Amino acid sequence: MTGKDTSATATVGQEIFGSGVFGRLAYGSGGECILDVNADELDRAVSVLAARNFVLSALFATPVYGEEGYVLRYVFSHAGSILVLSRALNGKQAKSIATIFPSATWPEQECRDMYGIEFEGAFDTRRLVLHETYPAGFYPLEKSFKNAPVDTKKKVAPAEEYPFRTVSGDGVYQVPVGPVHAGIIEPGHFRFSVIGETVFNLEIRLFYTHRGIEKLAEGKDPAACARVAEAVSGDESAANATGLCMAIEQLSGITVPDRAWHIRTVLCESERICSHLGDLSGMLTDVAFALGASHFAVLREEFFREQERLSGSRFLRGMILPGGVSRDIPIETLARYRGFLTRFAKEFRAGLAIVLSTPSVIDRFTQTGVIKKPLLSPLNITGPVARASGSERDVRVDCPYGIYNRFVPVTHPLSDGDVLARFTVKAAEVLDSLSLIEKAIAAMPEGPVMSTDPVRDGAALTLVEGPRGENLCWVEVREGKVFRYKVRTASYCNWLAIEHATPGNIIADFPVINKSLNLSYAGTDL
Amino acid sequence: MLGKKVTDPLMVRDAELERIGQEIRRRIDARFERSLAIRELDAGSDNAAEIEINNLSNAYYDVERFGISFVASPRHADVLLVTGAITHNMAIAAQKTYDAMPSPKFVVAVGDDACDGGIYKGTYAVLGGADALLSVDLKIPGNPPTPIQILTGFLALMQSAGKKD
Repeated sequence: MTGKDTSATATVGQEIFGSGVFGRLAYGSGGECILDVNADELDRAVSVLAARNFVLSALFATPVYGEEGYVLRYVFSHAGSILVLSRALNGKQAKSIATIFPSATWPEQECRDMYGIEFEGAFDTRRLVLHETYPAGFYPLEKSFKNAPVDTKKKVAPAEEYPFRTVSGDGVYQVPVGPVHAGIIEPGHFRFSVIGETVFNLEIRLFYTHRGIEKLAEGKDPAACARVAEAVSGDESAANATGLCMAIEQLSGITVPDRAWHIRTVLCESERICSHLGDLSGMLTDVAFALGASHFAVLREEFFREQERLSGSRFLRGMILPGGVSRDIPIETLARYRGFLTRFAKEFRAGLAIVLSTPSVIDRFTQTGVIKKPLLSPLNITGPVARASGSERDVRVDCPYGIYNRFVPVTHPLSDGDVLARFTVKAAEVLDSLSLIEKAIAAMPEGPVMSTDPVRDGAALTLVEGPRGENLCWVEVREGKVFRYKVRTASYCNWLAIEHATPGNIIADFPVINKSLNLSYAGTDL
Repeated sequence: MLGKKVTDPLMVRDAELERIGQEIRRRIDARFERSLAIRELDAGSDNAAEIEINNLSNAYYDVERFGISFVASPRHADVLLVTGAITHNMAIAAQKTYDAMPSPKFVVAVGDDACDGGIYKGTYAVLGGADALLSVDLKIPGNPPTPIQILTGFLALMQSAGKKD
């Protein structure tokens, strides 16, 4: 990860802290600026960074190795330039910045649930990750807690139930949906406040699939953690494994063989196509256009089968490991895959032509579920969702990793921010990924696919562009074992967009809005 | 009714799938009066197993022709298909879903995590596999199991279902 413009962070650092800042700035293995700050400096920095249109990309806590106490890490980004402010805590008290950076809201709640860190001035102090059945005072990521079963309540008394925001008025009624949904999808709760058919307010509640991914990684061998990263979100197995492995490689100074990066790129772009095909098909299902939905579902099944031929797993699992990839892909297999891609491109374009010339589809997609551009930065909305609302952000372009500086993706930003824009952006990205795969295979060098360099102790921050957008990962290795694994997926950022995209639409359009955002519950709940 | 077929003939793409499907069809006809209604429950999955279950309805598999339907409510279901280890956050909803099903009812665990807790076994956020909460009739392992493996599991369930009162 190398920022396009590291001077931006240095300039803003100087503005906040004076010229003495240069002696204090450190650089992470990914090229990000790191600065240790005290409480007052953080206060000052936050207001300046907000005024300079920095985005709060992530906020998370890490325990201090070998000592008591925690460090809060605020990851800010601006045009591909990353600034990490590290604030060492005395005790478990911090100050909320969620009123200035709304994308701090969930992370602050998460730090409280997982570590017991309280944020003074936080406007939402409800539980987030650990639901009501968990005992009070239980903080799973505290190092003193050894991962083991806990006793939870079998029932929740009405007085202890989760307090949803109340919306009242003449004719307003509530529609509660979930956590178990009618379709075959992941669990989550949607609380609609509706007037007639029109949604007036939507509040989401998630984390039903919280399975303790981050705690699970702790104490494991770094290589064994690839399996954990793949379980963050099934349909982003390759992306999340890549993020984790890059972090381990950077903190250890491991050079990944060039052939391995070509293979990783083929796998990750294949995964993106597979994910987008599911979205395109799902959006068409949700507007009852079965012909188009079936067309893309068939193509997606063919992709799953090709992925199994490439990697031995329909979900590309077990391939991406720290240092490279677990096995080479024979030239005949790659040649066969290229043949498939040529046929696929033709059939994909044919399906797209049918869909985009069907007025009923266009009518349902247009002006549905609009996400306005001013929402993007405050909520840190990312990926194709952001690119359909006027953003050009793409980690592969802004902070290229692997071989993306040689094979630069072409982004296709649109500005309408509706379901049609998201459908169109994803369709264009399918074709762009096809071209990237073609180029990576054509340029694939000979050589080993796994480095023999050892894993060392240290910490690193990485960003990858998964199918849904920017996935951030922070890994700290101590005594050869994973000490902390923080993963923040694009879904975690994009989920809150749905609360803004839905009001004003009729409830019957919610499924297609939801599908157009394609948010992973598992990748959020961890 | 005796006229020519209206639809194009389907190309049989996978003989093994057809064999398993027809066998399932025969047993569903015999034991479930021609239709097997399945309710899927994600109790803490990473979404890979759901994707494969959804894939059973794409044109390659199209399992509805074998008498299998995925239903929107547990009240319509014969079988509860559980994916993922059961998380503490899903335990109450999972129990309510099971309780809402009419008897006789069957529970099938799909995927390693649902079978025995998988990589989450013995950790804080999960109760364990599906059998930590429910009485499980069949386990289909895999990370995740493929559509064919899931269908093969359905066949095994059909073979044993007749023995359950």
